[in-house]
Amino acid sequence: MSLGILPSRSAALEQVDSLSLPTKRDEAWRYAPHKTLGQLTFGPAASTDAALADIDSQIPQLDGPLLVVVNGVVDAGRSRLGALPDGVSLVSLADAADEAADVLERVHEEADDAFSVINRAYGTGGAVIQISGQQSETIHIVDVAVPGAEQNASSSRVVIDVAAGSSAVIVETRIGSGDSFGGSNVRTEISLAADASLEHIILQDLPATQIHLGRVDVVQAANSTLRARLFNLGSDYGRVAYYVHLTDEGAHADLSGLYFGFGEQTLDQQITVVHGAPNCTSRQSYRGVLDDSSTGVWNGGVDVRVGADGTDSEQSNDNLLLSRKAEINTMPRLEILADEVSCQHGATVGQLDEEALYYMRSRGIPAEEASRLLINGFADQMMDDLESDTVRAWITERLGHANV
Amino acid sequence: MLHVEKLTASIGDTPILKGLDLAVGAGEVHAIMGPNGSGKSTFAHALAGRDGYEIGGTVTLDGADLLEMEPEARAAAGVFMGFQYPVEIPGVNNMYFLRTAVNSVRRTLGEDEIGARDFLKVAEQAMELVEMKKDFLYRSVNAGFSGGEKKRNEILQMAVMQPRLAVLDETDSGLDIDALRVVAKGVNSLRGPERSMIVITHYQRLLDYIKPDFVHVLVEGKIVESGDHTLALHLEENGYAGFVNHDLDDAPLSGASA
Ligand SMILES: Nc1ncnc2c1ncn2[C@@H]1O[C@H](COP(=O)(O)OP(=O)(O)OP(=O)(O)O)[C@@H](O)[C@H]1O
Ligand SMILES: [Mg+2]
Repeated sequence: MSLGILPSRSAALEQVDSLSLPTKRDEAWRYAPHKTLGQLTFGPAASTDAALADIDSQIPQLDGPLLVVVNGVVDAGRSRLGALPDGVSLVSLADAADEAADVLERVHEEADDAFSVINRAYGTGGAVIQISGQQSETIHIVDVAVPGAEQNASSSRVVIDVAAGSSAVIVETRIGSGDSFGGSNVRTEISLAADASLEHIILQDLPATQIHLGRVDVVQAANSTLRARLFNLGSDYGRVAYYVHLTDEGAHADLSGLYFGFGEQTLDQQITVVHGAPNCTSRQSYRGVLDDSSTGVWNGGVDVRVGADGTDSEQSNDNLLLSRKAEINTMPRLEILADEVSCQHGATVGQLDEEALYYMRSRGIPAEEASRLLINGFADQMMDDLESDTVRAWITERLGHANV
Repeated sequence: MLHVEKLTASIGDTPILKGLDLAVGAGEVHAIMGPNGSGKSTFAHALAGRDGYEIGGTVTLDGADLLEMEPEARAAAGVFMGFQYPVEIPGVNNMYFLRTAVNSVRRTLGEDEIGARDFLKVAEQAMELVEMKKDFLYRSVNAGFSGGEKKRNEILQMAVMQPRLAVLDETDSGLDIDALRVVAKGVNSLRGPERSMIVITHYQRLLDYIKPDFVHVLVEGKIVESGDHTLALHLEENGYAGFVNHDLDDAPLSGASA
């Protein structure tokens, strides 16, 4: 490792033994399975010698640069880091050069929770991505959790820096291996300089025996654009939290996502967008489909700070409940301390439209297929604007239907 | 071909169809007219198989008992209903919907499915017939379509499905003059010895374009008068007053003290 222990890491290591985990009283953790969270065990990352099932079949096959992290350690053999495009720097966190220290030591405004302290302490592996120029190749980071005997949960970090006026598409696919209990704790830190733009996609698809805890902190400078796309599909408890801070005028954050729950899954999205400067815009648009006894959580906040005049924000959360036992908890939050602000939000919870089903059946389409078409139609709208056809195809395949 | 005998339909305790009799022969076009709320759409839905009615009586198509069948089975048996209020289906591509419909029926009938490319030709022909712009094929089913566009889309579906019995529920309502001509053209081009049609309308105007073999007047859940196309002209002149009164004369006076 070319770096000494980062100051933030040593502080975290000191804290880690005395941490108290979030409880039901923490609004952002209200629907988390607190007991099972306590059964996750963390520790320093160590290469795993566990035999890995074929991961290629579990991830989209993108052509561009690829970095694979297994249990918090970069797997050079599975990665593809040769011949990076000009303007793309993609290195293992452990190998990050000293000049990246400031990127790694970035301080985020949003308070650390216990799992982000754990991430600071043990998340020594992962990716540091620095972008300049207009990048057309999609960069792919794959995180694989393989519960081990020593510890069942892994931590890793993805640090993304997009230089002024530059743009890129980055996909983070998060999967797991095996069928024992465990999980992953992945923290992504994104910084967009002025006029930068990033499409950032998370494909969360851990096995249903595992837990995924994702946290994404974003800082956006003037006129930068973030397009964050979340496909929260796997895990027993699959959680992704976004804290997006619009620090300068004209920044635009567009977040959307789809969660699709089966069985006993709980899929939890926690979003906070802070409008910290005038004339920024933000969009949050999430859809959930919940079958069986699954639970969806959508907690979306817009925080308009003093002076952030001219803020324009919209939030929507639409849900389809396919079973009587499925549940959705949807909570928009708004705090407005500025003037001339337009903030809209709406949430819907519905069942399959009986009239639409009848209409389709009257055209000869069997009931079951009609339901499937309706569900897919609802879900597919969340992938309409994805840049990568490969990613879109992967999602539709994963959801069990061929693309139209 | 279609035989309807003593058809009753009620919702909860409210009877809506009260013993409707109708026989439609192969190749015939029957128009049904009647005041608002008389049960015309209910009749159409009873034929198409909508849930939620208490149904009595018999309905057979080519001898097969329609009332026993699920809506999709009725479609496979050749029933097509053009909805008075076509349903919007966001996120489901019109072309994909049409192809799935056609192939579902084919599968049920044990026929080979049509591939995407061959189907495109079929769809494009039908689009031409109803003078719809191509991009409608790639939009979500009826989503954001204007009232008239939705009705054209119904005729498009009918043209693609080639039903044995088409029941068109106020397909002419809300159409401008050109659209009316287009819809009529679509209907007329599908007329044939092997296809029967029931055309529900409020306007004799449509019947200038689509000349029916028979016209029926539906009042309070029953057919109270049948005739040829001149009956429609009579209704246009005189309204339903005569029929409604006649019907009320026969009915026990509700609310009146005996
Ligand atoms: N779900 C329902 N519950 C109770 N009554 C209903 C229901 N649906 C329809 N009706 C009633 O049944 C009657 C017949 O309705 P229907 O839609 O068949 O009439 P219609 O002849 O098609 O009228 P219009 O010319 O206005 O289209 C009406 O009085 C209507 O209010
Ligand atoms: Mg009607």
